[in-house]
Amino acid sequence: MKKLIIYSLILFSGLSFAQVKDSIVYKKRVLENTEVDFLLSYYKQDGVHSAVSGGMGSEDLTDVASNIVVSMPLNDDDILTVDAGISAYTSASSSNINPYDKINTNPWQASSGASQSDQLTSLVVNYSHSSDDRNFVWNADISFSNEYDYTSFGFGGGVAKLFNNKNTELSLKANVYLDQWRPIYPKELIDYADNKFYYNVLDENGNITSAYNPSLFSTLDKVNRNSYSATFGFSQVATKNMQFSLFFDVIQQQSLLSTPYHRVYFADKTDYYVGQAQYIPVYETTQNQGVYKLADDIERLPDSRTKIPVGARLNYYLNERVTIRTYYRYYWDNWDITSHTASIEVPIKLSDKFTVFPMYRYYTQQQSKYFAGFEKHLSTEQYYTSDYDLSTFNANQYGFGVNYVDIFTNFQIWKFGLKNIDFRFNHYTRSDGLNANIASIGFKFVM
Amino acid sequence: MKKVMIIAVVLISLQSCKAVKEYDMQKINDTTMKLSAQTTERYETAFQVYREAAAGANGGKTGGGCGCN
Repeated sequence: MKKLIIYSLILFSGLSFAQVKDSIVYKKRVLENTEVDFLLSYYKQDGVHSAVSGGMGSEDLTDVASNIVVSMPLNDDDILTVDAGISAYTSASSSNINPYDKINTNPWQASSGASQSDQLTSLVVNYSHSSDDRNFVWNADISFSNEYDYTSFGFGGGVAKLFNNKNTELSLKANVYLDQWRPIYPKELIDYADNKFYYNVLDENGNITSAYNPSLFSTLDKVNRNSYSATFGFSQVATKNMQFSLFFDVIQQQSLLSTPYHRVYFADKTDYYVGQAQYIPVYETTQNQGVYKLADDIERLPDSRTKIPVGARLNYYLNERVTIRTYYRYYWDNWDITSHTASIEVPIKLSDKFTVFPMYRYYTQQQSKYFAGFEKHLSTEQYYTSDYDLSTFNANQYGFGVNYVDIFTNFQIWKFGLKNIDFRFNHYTRSDGLNANIASIGFKFVM
Repeated sequence: MKKVMIIAVVLISLQSCKAVKEYDMQKINDTTMKLSAQTTERYETAFQVYREAAAGANGGKTGGGCGCN
């Protein structure tokens, strides 16, 4: 009997072990290995509507940016991502915050002042956790960025729920950015306010005068900018070949939403200049090589802005070689700007390793009610800007990309193997005369 | 146009009532089918936010930074 009980116990124990073993479900790690992305971009633009010079002048700008993004699996479910970036730019437009430190001052050439160049450094840390069944994900992030006259601190988080056999996903994300300006103003305005105005001023006829008086100018009281955003997302696998997603954002911005060094010239104010009188008649043309117009004020904009963009993506797997990726967005804000964005990208697989993708993007917007061009505003208005980024225009962007993938990561640097290289080039042309080129490249390594 | 779009969305939604099984998701899981922007596209999104008034609904940042250069 004793032996029977012992045998029974052993058998039950065996069964129960088997049951425990059966209940263990294989859980794939959310991220198998540490991944490192090295990203680099080169951007160059030029145009004729510099906001610093009140809506006319050179917009020549060059920006070189790079980021290192490290994604680390902390365990089967959690990922920590650190994204560190630096970007350096030189800008003819912002150099003219102080255009008076060159002999031939004018809005068409860069000045050599400190505002000619700047660096932006940024850091974003993101933590995400996936549930055991991988149907629920939450994440939290903090961010920081800094440049000479601006610091930004942000935090946020989001949740995503997958259901219907992972065919459907609903997501919600919220972010807060608490930014701080350290305003710099057009040189002549701040000098006038500080009683350091010692310029030889010319009137419209080229005669020396002391009548310049930018009485509307005062320094800004509020120097913070807060942004709050919420994003709702819905994505759906429609067929074996097609899936789409819808996005709906609500963004609220508050406090200092203008740029302190954007000049404004009023149509109902007398014009004053510094420089050489013979260039005054050709001030608005590139023939002007030696005179700069003194500002009436800086741009003034409301301290609140609500933005509502609604977007959709639809991707269709045409065949083994070709996929069609499309995107559309409608945008509205309470500064009366509306816009439409549409883009298409067609990845074509040339081989197992190489994919090329031609792309095209169209953008159109209706101007803000606070916008008017160079010297078109009246001094009786409450809000005014001559920043052409807020004007009516349309833009075409076209380019191509090349993607190289090596799933075996044969090329190794230290412990990291090269997984893929992604290159993109795009040309951008705006109907107001702004042109830009951007090239970017990314290298993904896995440990 | 509005009606066409509504009908298209409804049709797509109806198709999606029948869930695609995990073993049938080979094409959906292809890297080119990702419903997010490419990694290097972030720089294009950044300059577009600077040079255009619209922002958001594309997975990019919706605040932070002056966007003033």
